[in-house]
Amino acid sequence: MPEETIQQSLASQGVSRRDFLKLSGVLAAAMGLQLPPLEKSGLPAALGVPEQISPTEQTILNALETKQRLPVIWLEFQDCTGCTEAVTRSVSPSLTNLVLNTLTIEYHETLAAAAGFQVEQAKQDAMKKYAGQYILVVEGSIPTDLDGSYCVIGGRSAVEQLKEAAAGAAAIIAVGNCAAYGGLPKAKPNPTGAKGVWEIITDKAVVNISGCPAIPEATTGVIAHFAIFGTLPKLDKLNRPLTFYGKTVHDRCLRRPFYEAGKFALSFDDEGAREGHCLYKLGCKGPTTYSACATIKWDQGLSFPVQSGHPCLGCTEPNFWDGGGFYEGQSAPLDRPTITAVGAAVGVGAALGIGTALVNQSKKKAHKGES
Amino acid sequence: MSSQAVLEFARGPFFYFALLFMLFGLAYRLFNVISLGWNKDRVVPMGSKSKGVVITFLKAFLIWPFIPWVKDTFNRNPLIYIGGGLFHLSLFVVIILGTPHMLVWKSLIGLGWPTLPLPVVDWMSAVGIIAMVILLINRRIHPVLKLISGPAEFVAWLFVFLPMITGYMMTHHIGGSYEALYARHMISVDVLMIWIPLSRISHFVFYFFSRAIHGQEFGKRGVAV
Ligand code: HEM
Ligand code: HEM
Ligand code: SF4
Repeated sequence: MPEETIQQSLASQGVSRRDFLKLSGVLAAAMGLQLPPLEKSGLPAALGVPEQISPTEQTILNALETKQRLPVIWLEFQDCTGCTEAVTRSVSPSLTNLVLNTLTIEYHETLAAAAGFQVEQAKQDAMKKYAGQYILVVEGSIPTDLDGSYCVIGGRSAVEQLKEAAAGAAAIIAVGNCAAYGGLPKAKPNPTGAKGVWEIITDKAVVNISGCPAIPEATTGVIAHFAIFGTLPKLDKLNRPLTFYGKTVHDRCLRRPFYEAGKFALSFDDEGAREGHCLYKLGCKGPTTYSACATIKWDQGLSFPVQSGHPCLGCTEPNFWDGGGFYEGQSAPLDRPTITAVGAAVGVGAALGIGTALVNQSKKKAHKGES
Repeated sequence: MSSQAVLEFARGPFFYFALLFMLFGLAYRLFNVISLGWNKDRVVPMGSKSKGVVITFLKAFLIWPFIPWVKDTFNRNPLIYIGGGLFHLSLFVVIILGTPHMLVWKSLIGLGWPTLPLPVVDWMSAVGIIAMVILLINRRIHPVLKLISGPAEFVAWLFVFLPMITGYMMTHHIGGSYEALYARHMISVDVLMIWIPLSRISHFVFYFFSRAIHGQEFGKRGVAV
C-alpha cells in the first residue's frame, strides 16, 4: 500500500519511536551522508543510537514521516538470483527491514506469491498505476542475439520487457555485475549477446550496483537514498555510487602492510597464507577493483573474501570473467601468444633476416664480378 | 572509453601484438647480422676460443663493475659509467625482482622466483629515473655526445623513460586512478617493445653476441682482457 507513509507502515509493524530515530541514523550512515562515513567506520559502528539528531538525520526523519512508500518493480533476466538472496538474507536486519518497509515490491519473480498470467497482469497494472514513479531494479544480463530469444518471459523477450519497464521508471538500478556490465553471461564468447542495462537503456541514468553478488547494503542504501531524497547518489564513470565504489579493495585491505613489505602467500596452504600475508601473487585483483567489500564486508561486517583468505576476483568491474586468470597475478598479460605463435614470429623473422642478408651478399658479389 | 577498457586493450591485444612484433624484429635483426658471415680465419689459434668467451663474460659481470677505475671507459667518462650502470641495475631490479614484473615473466614462461620488498624496488626505480635524467642532461651538454646524438637517441631515451616514470607514478598513485595509471604504464611498455627492434635498444641482444665475438677473438689470440 504505497499510500501509507513510511513511518506509518513502520509503526503499524510495532517499530517504536526510539527505534525509528535509531534507524534514521543507520540510514544516514548507510548512504554515506553522516560522519563517520561508512567507508571509514564500517557499518556496525554506526548502529548505536545517536546522541543527538544531526541535520541530515532530521531530513531523513521528516522524509520518512511524510513520504509515501515507494513502488518497486524488480526484473530478473539472465541471473542466478544471488543479488536477491543477498538483499533478502543480509544479516543487517534493521537496515534491510527499514528499506523493505520504505518499498512496496509490486513485482518480483522470486518473491511473488502469484505466478503465470496473474503476476504478469499485476506487473502491467503496477506499471500503469505508478507510471513515472516506480523504481525499476534489474537483476541479470539481457541477451540481445537472435532477437533476444535466449531469455523470454511470458512470451516476451527480456529486451522488450526491459524497455517497456524502463519507459515508466523514475529511477533504474542495475543490481549485480550481470545487470550492470553483462557479468558471467557476457564472458567470452558471450553466446547470447548478453549486455548490461545501461548498454540498452541509454536515455535514462542507470545506477550500477555491481558485484557478484552486489553488496546488499549498497543496494538498499541507493534505494533508500532515492526513497528519501528523490534523487540518485553521486556516481562514478561506470555509474556506480561513489559512496560504495569510491575506493579500491586494495586501498582498504587489511593485508596491505604485507603487500608493502613484499610478504606474499604463494599457495593457499603455505606459511604465508597462515600468517595472513598479501594474496597478490595468488591473483588478487584488489588494486583495480572498486568496492566497499573491505569496509562494509559481509554478514554484518564479519568478513570478506580477501580477509578469509581468497584473492579478490574483481567482481565489481566490467568483464571480470575475462580480466585474466582468477589465480594469476594481476599484472599478467591478458592475451599471451602460444608457443606456436612465438615460434612463427621468430622463425619468420629469422628467415627474412637470413634471406635479405643472402640477397644483399649475392648482389654485392655480382657487383664485384662486374667490375 | 573508460580507463578500464584502455587497460584491457593495453594488457590484451596491444601487448600481444607488441610482444610478437618485438620477437619477430629481434630475430630478423640478429639473423640478418649473423648471416653476413665472418671472414675465413686462416690463423692458427693461440688459445681456446670458448675459454676466451667465458672469461670476457665473467670479467664483464663479476670484475670490472667492482673495480671500474682500472678501465679507460670509466676514467674517460665516469658519469656515463656510473649513471649507465645504476640505470641498468635499476632496470634489472625493477623488471626482474619487482613483484608485478616477476608475475609477468611467470605468466609468459611459467617460472616464478622470490622478489624484493616494494620499498627496495621503489628506491631502485627512483635511482634509475634520476640516472636517466642525468644521462639525458649529459647528452645535451657534453661536447662530443651532443654531436653524435640525433633524434633517434632522444626518442630511445623517451621510450625507455616513459615506462619507468609511469610505473613509478602507478606505485605512488600520482596523477589519476590506478587503472588510468596502469593503462599509461602498459601503453608505454607496449610502445617500448615495438620500438626495441627498430632501434639501438636492441643492444641487449647484440651485447651478448658482440661480447661473445670479442671474447672469441681475445681467446684466439691468447690476449688476457
Ligand atoms: C643485459 C642487458 C643489457 C646490457 C648488457 C646493456 C648494456 C649497455 C651498454 C654497455 C650501454 C652503453 C654504456 C652506457 O651508456 O652505460 C648501454 C646503454 C643503454 N642501455 Fe643498455 N644494456 C642492457 C639492457 C638494456 C635494456 C633492457 C634497456 C631498455 C629497456 C637498455 C637501455 C639502455 C639505454 C637507454 C642506454 C643509453 C644510456 C645513455 O643514454 O647513456 N639497456 N646498455
Ligand atoms: C608487461 C609488462 C609490464 C607490466 C604488466 C607492468 C606492471 C607494473 C605494475 C603492476 C607495477 C606496480 C605498481 C604498484 O606497485 O602498484 C609496475 C611498476 C613499475 N614498472 Fe612496470 N610493468 C611492465 C613492464 C615494465 C617495463 C618494461 C619497465 C621499465 C622499462 C617497467 C618499469 C616499472 C617501474 C619503474 C615501476 C615502479 C616500481 C616501484 O616504484 O616500486 N615496467 N609495473
Ligand atoms: S590481498 Fe589483494 S587487496 Fe589486499 S593488499 Fe594484497 S593485493 Fe591488495
